Amino acid sequence: MSSYPEPVISVTRVSKVYRSGLRMKRVQALTDISLEVERGEIFGFLGPNGAGKTTLIKILMGLTEPTSGSALVFGRPPRDAAAKARLGFLPESPYFYDHLTAREFLGLAARLSGVPKSEAAGRVTGQLRLLRMEKAADVQMRGFSRGMLQRMGIAQALVADPELVVLDEPMGGLDPIGRKEFRDIIVDLRERGKTIFFSTHILSDVEMICDRVGIVIEGRMVEVGRLSEILTSDVESIEVTVKGVTGKTQKALERVSQKAIKSGDQLLLTVRNEDDVDRVLAICREMGGIRVVGIDPHCPTLEDYFMAHVAKAGRAS
Amino acid sequence: MIERVSGIALNTFRESIRDKVLVTLIVFAVLVMGSARVIQPLALGEEAKIVKDLGLSAITLFCVLISILVGGRIVYREVEKRTIYIMLAKPVRRWEFILGKYLGLMSVLVVSLVVMTAAFYLILLILGVGAPLSLLLAVLMTLFELAILTAVAVLFSTFSTPITGAVFTFAVYFAGHLSRDLKLLAAMSPSPVVKAASYLFYYLLPNLGNFNIRPEVVYGVPLDPSALLLSGLYSLVYTATLLLISAAICNRKEF
Repeated sequence: MSSYPEPVISVTRVSKVYRSGLRMKRVQALTDISLEVERGEIFGFLGPNGAGKTTLIKILMGLTEPTSGSALVFGRPPRDAAAKARLGFLPESPYFYDHLTAREFLGLAARLSGVPKSEAAGRVTGQLRLLRMEKAADVQMRGFSRGMLQRMGIAQALVADPELVVLDEPMGGLDPIGRKEFRDIIVDLRERGKTIFFSTHILSDVEMICDRVGIVIEGRMVEVGRLSEILTSDVESIEVTVKGVTGKTQKALERVSQKAIKSGDQLLLTVRNEDDVDRVLAICREMGGIRVVGIDPHCPTLEDYFMAHVAKAGRAS
Repeated sequence: MIERVSGIALNTFRESIRDKVLVTLIVFAVLVMGSARVIQPLALGEEAKIVKDLGLSAITLFCVLISILVGGRIVYREVEKRTIYIMLAKPVRRWEFILGKYLGLMSVLVVSLVVMTAAFYLILLILGVGAPLSLLLAVLMTLFELAILTAVAVLFSTFSTPITGAVFTFAVYFAGHLSRDLKLLAAMSPSPVVKAASYLFYYLLPNLGNFNIRPEVVYGVPLDPSALLLSGLYSLVYTATLLLISAAICNRKEF
């Protein structure tokens, strides 16, 4: 990672203001965003809908210009053809040419990306095989399902074997099997030394595969860092599940718990720490006839962290 | 550069040639040319001229329709469907994208012209009214005219919706055929404002009347080769200018 002289993506204090409507109303899409993505990383760019994720990606792809600040890809301005030759991009909800076949479209993508003619056909076939699209290779894309279009989008992004892959909401439109396959592809890309920058709001995928994340809310970057740094391994609470509880015992257990949920003959207790677990166990021993069926420590998840930030931003605004 | 431009042109050609709108327009053009058989008895000895004039006019009209209807949405549709995100994220310069789209559409028009002209000659042979090769000169001049008109359509497509673009392109087409009248109006008008405006539009709008040599070829009037060559050159320069403006607009555009 450190052998590469400069970050693959470098965003410094980028702000973006759009003007919309007849009165040219000012819409602040991004405010003072800074981040760096190093070679070989999987970087997850998180945020709720409308947070500004796609705007930043468009800036990185040279589709729009920042109002202030600078964005560099491989140390060059995003519109530089030399920078674009080294990346593959999948936009959100991709749509392609209705009357082209999958093979023709991937051939075009390879040609535009500078893949030599002698290699293009092999690359196209390889991508079709990787994305399990061989049977639809010579079918016009107008009949493709949302999931098939998403696969085509990924295939065209990877066909030139780029060093950097930028994916905007890549899991959209994929079923659970497709998502699993897609995660495998991303992990495989990292193993081959590629850099991946992807935006999403599906947090479980991020937790599984990302090295670092950036969280953007209302156009502002609220956190950038390694998941292990953001999510501490401190136990936040412990869930104790007990069976055979009577009314009097239940009241005693509820007194030492933060939360108690009765479901059938089971009682799910949420307690703060190990001392409270000991108290619960003592009550169970004392009362008799109660069986402890589970003790699960609960560490904060990315979702908890993310939701806390969203709630905080909501309160602030 | 050539690889990228030709790739985009080939893609545009494939997309357009498989579009039902194009096939429908070509079929209609052939039907209109074939309808000459019906009006032939009414021509009172001028059958050959009427059939040729109708055929050449149908070729021009339907190719103009293809140019405006397909050309008017050629860039807009890429933006609307966001396929332009994928194209411009590749190492493609924006002017290459515009040039590729334009050349793709011109290839479609050349193929349409060839198909319609072949059908036209077939009809002439079936009707037995003579099929002189000089008629091809009128088709060639139509191609020069289409080159300009398609560049106008592409220009409007870079910043307006397909309907607005089509209306504006039609307006340029009609005004372009009236440009000699504009010059006349400028010369005759006593008002300096009308004079200035007429001259402005005369020099700004393409002089499409130059490309209409249908009456000459149908009636066998001799043509001046240097005038034809000049028209071809005029088409090339005007088209290149329009494409440069389109590329400049696309270059400044934010997606």
